[in-house]
Amino acid sequence: LPLLSYILRRVLQMVPTFVFILVITFVLVRLLPGDPTSAILGDRAIDADVKRINNELGLDQPIPVQFVYFARAVISGNLGDSINLKVPVLALILQRLPVTLMLTAMAGIIALLLAVPLAFVAALNRGEAPDAAVRGVFQIALSMPVFYAGLVLLTVFAARLRWFPVGGYGSNFLDDLYHLILPATTLALSLAAVLMRNLRASIIGVVGADYVDFARAKGLPARVILFRHVLRNALISTVTLFGLSIGSLLGGAVVTETVFAIPGAGRLMIDSIYGRDYPVIQGLTIAIALLVSLAFLATDILHAWLDPRIVR
Amino acid sequence: MKVLSKAVLGVAMLAASSVSALAIERGGTLVYGRYADSLFLDPVLNDANVDIWILNNLYDTLIEPTDDGQGLRPGLATAWKLAADGMSVTLTLRDGIAFSDGSPITPADVQWSLKRAANPKNGIWNFIVSSIADVTTEGDKTVIIKLKQPDPTILIALTVFNTSIMPMKAFEASPGATDADKAKSFAEHPIGSGPFAMQSWTRGSSMKLVRSEHYWAKGEDGKPLPYLDGIDFELVPDDNTRILKLQSGGLDGAEFIPYSRVAELKADSNLNMILFPSTRLEYVSMNVRPTVDGKDNPLSNEKVRQAMNYAVDKDAMIRVVTHGVGTAPTSFMSATTPLHAGDKPIYPYDLAKAKQLMKDAGFPNGFETDLLILAGNQDESGIGTTLQQMWSQIGIKLDIEQADNPTRTQRYRTANFLMRMGAWTDDIADPNERASYFVYSPNIQALHSGWKSDAADKLFDDSQKEMDPAKRAAMYAQMQQIYNSTGPIVPLYETPYPVALNKKVHGFLQIPLGNNIFASTWIQK
Repeated sequence: LPLLSYILRRVLQMVPTFVFILVITFVLVRLLPGDPTSAILGDRAIDADVKRINNELGLDQPIPVQFVYFARAVISGNLGDSINLKVPVLALILQRLPVTLMLTAMAGIIALLLAVPLAFVAALNRGEAPDAAVRGVFQIALSMPVFYAGLVLLTVFAARLRWFPVGGYGSNFLDDLYHLILPATTLALSLAAVLMRNLRASIIGVVGADYVDFARAKGLPARVILFRHVLRNALISTVTLFGLSIGSLLGGAVVTETVFAIPGAGRLMIDSIYGRDYPVIQGLTIAIALLVSLAFLATDILHAWLDPRIVR
Repeated sequence: MKVLSKAVLGVAMLAASSVSALAIERGGTLVYGRYADSLFLDPVLNDANVDIWILNNLYDTLIEPTDDGQGLRPGLATAWKLAADGMSVTLTLRDGIAFSDGSPITPADVQWSLKRAANPKNGIWNFIVSSIADVTTEGDKTVIIKLKQPDPTILIALTVFNTSIMPMKAFEASPGATDADKAKSFAEHPIGSGPFAMQSWTRGSSMKLVRSEHYWAKGEDGKPLPYLDGIDFELVPDDNTRILKLQSGGLDGAEFIPYSRVAELKADSNLNMILFPSTRLEYVSMNVRPTVDGKDNPLSNEKVRQAMNYAVDKDAMIRVVTHGVGTAPTSFMSATTPLHAGDKPIYPYDLAKAKQLMKDAGFPNGFETDLLILAGNQDESGIGTTLQQMWSQIGIKLDIEQADNPTRTQRYRTANFLMRMGAWTDDIADPNERASYFVYSPNIQALHSGWKSDAADKLFDDSQKEMDPAKRAAMYAQMQQIYNSTGPIVPLYETPYPVALNKKVHGFLQIPLGNNIFASTWIQK
């Protein structure tokens, strides 16, 4: 029961955050120098066209008035039409966001699959060759820019070995997954490095703790000590880190999507910002804010389950 | 230069169709890598090259530009006649023409399409056909365009994308209350009479076109075009990935090869690296108002502008920024723009002359000024640093300021800049579009520079009514002379369109206006 009320409290906390994000995004995009009309008409626009388009888009209205229209529409579930692409924003988001979610989810899974076992290998062989090797390799992964890592993987595994397609997206779900393996690995590399370092350090800390010595003294098998006592406690800070990294994973997705030619939301966001496509920027921000909030909520719940003291 | 450019054009076209001696093979789908997706495939309401440059594959015009982009040949109309008083054009439609859905093209479709294109409330291209007063039809093959005044460019205007013929009934039946709303739904699944028809379009990923069974033009084998079964446009925004995909066989062709990789791809035995002549000019444009932001502006001095032109070593710039791909400009009008005049590069590098001009202008020690470049654009930052170095030789301290496109455009429009980088390509095979923006002050104050020449303005006004081609050419020669010697720009270089194709692809053409022509493209099996 305390867990349930904890969750409820956290959900309620999300509401004001959400309203805040809505207002901030709306105002910020309008404070950016440059406007949608400049973006669509470009250098060749004559004043009469600019005036006409601003009027068509309602951008000649005062910002508070625009906000009332916007808020009213959002509440009724209408995110408007894209200024540049002339299609409903909701349809665009539903088409592009799942791609990015799948990419980041795969990246997250790959990062964990790489980080957790290797963190154990490194921590339990502290200061020895395996530790140095794991840390060395991850140091390289961490210091390589995402676009460069992506290009290296593309050149080696796609163009040379032909194990994977050279960018692009699939035609069905399995094909999509296949197309996402390389980009997700690219995205996972730096995250895996961060997670591995963090987890390695906490494992070293936990392994030396009194209760682990006690468990060992009790004669518990090493496997049980490792999973029930060491991993569970060592994971707490890594889970936090993982949750916080979701935002940056989404950020890294922008670059990955460009290098691998994947039609995801990251690229849509960048194109929309360069095109000052206000409705798309607003819609995507709302959707991503919602997802990140949910991810944080999930992290908190997982946290509470790992460490029941947090609920109180 | 004119002769030279035609020679270059000839070579490029030869390269594109070099194997016309080979027997043409029909069938197959061409996969073409694009750097950016289309936005809005309405011929009248679009505003970007990503749309314009492929529209001709979906839609068709009454008259077509020739392959060099300079002449006319029949399209949906087989004949046209300009009235003796220049006040009307009578066009005869081709027999048996139809849209890709099989419905016949009627004079009513033509009438409706042209009126929509000329409506001043529609889009930003209506100026191209602003001389149209009315369009009427006669019988089932004749369309008469009535003009407000004689217009020397009206026939050329009928080759431009915005005068594409659209199916009136299908458009009007599209959901939506207004023309703009109907256009949104229509343009998602456009129906035209071009060589291809839209099969599917996944935004941000791919666009699939299939051959239209109703296209009128015939191929070399006497059967209807196109040769291809279809085209898959794949969106690969990253230059390196696009090239990698082309080299590994995932693409049959790729556009916008960066200049830095042209030489490498030329050496690739599997590829055909083609530089299609374009109308593209890269230039610095200046604000020449006496004061900007309350401060005195030395750029208002004609001698200063000339000095800055002489101080730029174009050949070095071309080597550094375009890796030798560009050519030195001979006028503000590209060598491929009709009525271009000038046979040698303007402002050959002459530092002594530049220094003298600065002295004469009263700035022997130079001054500080500012150049606005596009944030993250490699070419522009290369140009910026090169100019910084070159102009420092005449004492000018150049500050480089970065901005993204909408910011820069807005500052440009409100004349809140000193200098900015610019690039231009023509959309119509006539110099009047470029001249109206660069020279003619009533349009956008000569690139928002504040520059104004009454003589040049008058030449432009007169040339818009002059029906005698020789006299019109003379007017343009004079206009170029005035602008090139006193104008508000520093022309830097002209560049072609770099396209790389797999060796088995033949007959692809990108005309100087940028249009990608796939109608006669074929793949060798």
